Amino acid sequence: MMRRRTLLAASLAAPAAIALGRPATAAELFPSLSVFVPAGPGGGWDGLGRAMEQASRAAGLVGTFQFENVGGAGGTVGLPRFVSQKRGRADALFIGGAVMVGAVLANRAPVGLKDVTPLARMTTEPGIIVVPASSEFRDIAGLMAAYRANPGAVATCGGSAGGIDHITLGLMLKTVGRSARDASYVAFAGGGPAQAALLGAQVKAGISGVSEFSEQVKAGRLRALATTGDTRSLDGVPTLKESGIDVVIGNWRGVFGAPGINPAQRAALVDYLTTLHASPQWQDIMTTRGWDDAFLKDEAFADFLRKDETDTLAVLREVGLVT
Amino acid sequence: MDSFNNLMGGFAHALSFANLGWAILGCFLGTAIGVLPGIGPALTIALLLPITYQVSATGAFILFCGVFYGAMYGGSTTSILLNTPGESGSIITSLEGAKMAKSGRAGPALATAAIGSFFAGTIGTLGITFLGPVIVEYALRLGPAEYFCLMVLCFVTVSAVLGGSALRGLTSLAFGLMLGLVGIDLQSGQPRLTFGVTEVLDGVNVVLVAVGLFAVGETLYLAWRHVVGEQVIQPVGSIMLSKADWKRSFWPWMRGAGLGFPFGVLPAGGTEMPTMLSYYAERKLVKPEFAHEFGTTGAIEGVAGPEAANNAAAAGVLVPMLTLGLPTSATAAIMLSAFQSYGIQPGPMLFVQQADLVWTLIASLFIANVMLVVLNLPLVGLWVQILKVPTPQLYAGILVFATIGTYGISNSVTDLVLLYGIGIIAMFMRRFDFPTAPVVIGMILGPMAEQAMRQALVISQGDWTTFLTRPASATLLAIAVLALVGPRIWGLVRR
Amino acid sequence: MTLRPSARADLGAAVFVLGLGILAMWQAMVVPASPLYGQVGPSFVPYLVAVLMLALGVGLCLAALRGGWSHTLEDMQNPAPTNWRALGLLFAGLLANLALIEWLGFVIAATAQFVLVAAAFGSRRPLRDLLIGAAVCIAAFMMFDRLLGVNIGAGILEGVL
Repeated sequence: MMRRRTLLAASLAAPAAIALGRPATAAELFPSLSVFVPAGPGGGWDGLGRAMEQASRAAGLVGTFQFENVGGAGGTVGLPRFVSQKRGRADALFIGGAVMVGAVLANRAPVGLKDVTPLARMTTEPGIIVVPASSEFRDIAGLMAAYRANPGAVATCGGSAGGIDHITLGLMLKTVGRSARDASYVAFAGGGPAQAALLGAQVKAGISGVSEFSEQVKAGRLRALATTGDTRSLDGVPTLKESGIDVVIGNWRGVFGAPGINPAQRAALVDYLTTLHASPQWQDIMTTRGWDDAFLKDEAFADFLRKDETDTLAVLREVGLVT
Repeated sequence: MDSFNNLMGGFAHALSFANLGWAILGCFLGTAIGVLPGIGPALTIALLLPITYQVSATGAFILFCGVFYGAMYGGSTTSILLNTPGESGSIITSLEGAKMAKSGRAGPALATAAIGSFFAGTIGTLGITFLGPVIVEYALRLGPAEYFCLMVLCFVTVSAVLGGSALRGLTSLAFGLMLGLVGIDLQSGQPRLTFGVTEVLDGVNVVLVAVGLFAVGETLYLAWRHVVGEQVIQPVGSIMLSKADWKRSFWPWMRGAGLGFPFGVLPAGGTEMPTMLSYYAERKLVKPEFAHEFGTTGAIEGVAGPEAANNAAAAGVLVPMLTLGLPTSATAAIMLSAFQSYGIQPGPMLFVQQADLVWTLIASLFIANVMLVVLNLPLVGLWVQILKVPTPQLYAGILVFATIGTYGISNSVTDLVLLYGIGIIAMFMRRFDFPTAPVVIGMILGPMAEQAMRQALVISQGDWTTFLTRPASATLLAIAVLALVGPRIWGLVRR
Repeated sequence: MTLRPSARADLGAAVFVLGLGILAMWQAMVVPASPLYGQVGPSFVPYLVAVLMLALGVGLCLAALRGGWSHTLEDMQNPAPTNWRALGLLFAGLLANLALIEWLGFVIAATAQFVLVAAAFGSRRPLRDLLIGAAVCIAAFMMFDRLLGVNIGAGILEGVL
């Protein structure tokens, strides 16, 4: 658990704030918000929370932020703690995402995302399917043909088993009548070792988030075959959908409220996120970080969540992580 | 001499007043967090990420590199003085370092660690400057099969720490392997040895285990056998390195640096494996007249080698990050995410597109190294005063620091229970003469070896001969066999 | 068969190792079978470690029955008697920390631990230890919380600081 009251950052921020002058408080929607990040500092969820703080304060939407990080087991260590500590609190936010949907199912966690209040999906990062530059696969159709013929012969690397990369592979295999359990999936801890295995052509193909591999693709050291978003993420690289493979998946990140808040309190938090999303400060951050906008709020988000859960469950069943 | 000119340009940038300030702050912070068990450079840099909103990219990265190098220096201090390793790379240092401190040679141990770190850090940084890009291309040719064989080679090093009985030494190793299995299996996603506890799904932290084994276990054992009224006075002895110490340290430094740097460059290398290999090498290569010091009064070679190895490896880790945008350690991954918050995309083009930034960074590494040795050498005299603290307060303090490191990172009482539980086991291990070092070796190498083996077997579609048919992998296996039986055969031949 | 006391203790240690082996075996058996492609499943290495542990446990038992090894150890030649008071105080210190840290915060919990551990090692001036402990803990807390922003367990006292 960490509170970010870095003296260093604060002392540096102070002159800047004085110089800019605090924006008018008329727009302030919340005097303070506490953000619960179920992962350690420095990761994707933490990054989303920090970016929300940065934009909200610059836009004068929220007075102060308090952060709490409780990491572990794909968020399933932090989730029950948030649920028990913040029940009914109208100023508590919880950051979560696609990874947690899988972790809750695979870890058979008693407390799940059903126990928190969905507010809005903020960003998403589509996946990318790459092969080494020297690979015989020129396009996604070639790779899919190889998967159809013998998935075991195409060693494919990605993140941990049952994670989003593995689920993407499972959904792709399903479209050619194969199952995730026939695949030669090589799990690596973290993007570095996986990239190294691809660059050295130790494996035939790899799946990960677009940002993980995009620079290697631009430098010509890896060949991108497809991305997994709704629309194209990289110039000249088709999506799976337009290549006739009906898979759309992304590593989405979103915000949840505490359990047991009333509809008015929920509406206030959704309003805040809607205002934040529309602010130029937020759009700026999205551009610098290269994040894809995936704003979806309230019931639409809840519906999406249910579908995501069904898809994930199906693949996790196949790979034996859910019985 | 293109690199050389670029480097000079880097120095011109780095030597500005503000940048030097960032370097000093980074070195200081890094040393401070390195001293504490559990809190490492990755976490510190993650906590410092918000400054990327206010500070220029150059300033921020100089600060981060200072923290990174500083932590490697600081990690050794508590390993030696309190037998409480601050980082996983300094666990091996505490084997001989703590014994030296007990026999009144804390000063030379700290000094050889600091000077060795300086030599190795400088050699490593030179490596980044001139060799990095070449080495990394070779490193990429190594796949999981080669990594598995490399780890088999490292397992040989266990024999150097088995102690009096192979039976008890191997039991310790098996205990370490067991601890290493705890958590979710990477290849299948299945939980193993977790007993249904959610908090351990991500595995048990190796630094926590080392602190429990070495510091908490020792404290408990001493209390168990404590005689009322007896005061153990730790001799402090001389502070500086004698001429003999210099002579004994020099080659271990060089060998350690030579081992450490390539391991750091390897995408799945890390700082722990080279420290084990270096310890093993020094133990085997030590002059016969000093051999008895290993494991008894503490041999300076066993501190100099591993310390140099871990600093050179730390420098090596930066090579794949800067040349290929490959984050091969947690710290490198966090630094890369800092690049992204400046809108700089780390990748193979970084050296070309951000040449100024990269060369300033490399120059700062040289500066940080000099600063750290200047900061740390005079501190040696101050640090050894810790040993003059009376026993009751000293051990009370050690337990408080062990608690901070453990509880501070996770805020989880589960981790504290684990720390104390392992301490109790270590107390009995000490009583029954089970060595504790193999536990740590098993815990670090076991999971790495298992994952590499299974990755290799998935890639080869279940063909076990993959370990023998790949030339590099076969060579490594041959070296491992040689290291295991070689000394014995050599002994027979000589007789 | 009569065993000398030290060998009986050794047998206890050996049986503990055997127990660890059984524990490892049980946990290896409950790892769910993974249908994923791969020669080596998630339970292969756990079985390997369990078998190794059991074998070593049997080996240690035999060694203990043959007279044990403790009597050859230097530390055991003239062992000091077990200091129950010191051990008790030390365990009290650890337990105090575990019980208090979530409830009263790091500074109070760690100070209590400091005083008890110092007493375990024969310090007779608890008041002085209390002051030293509190000073050390507050300094550590300030450094972590203020400088690094790491919350090492906030409680009553930390709120005041």
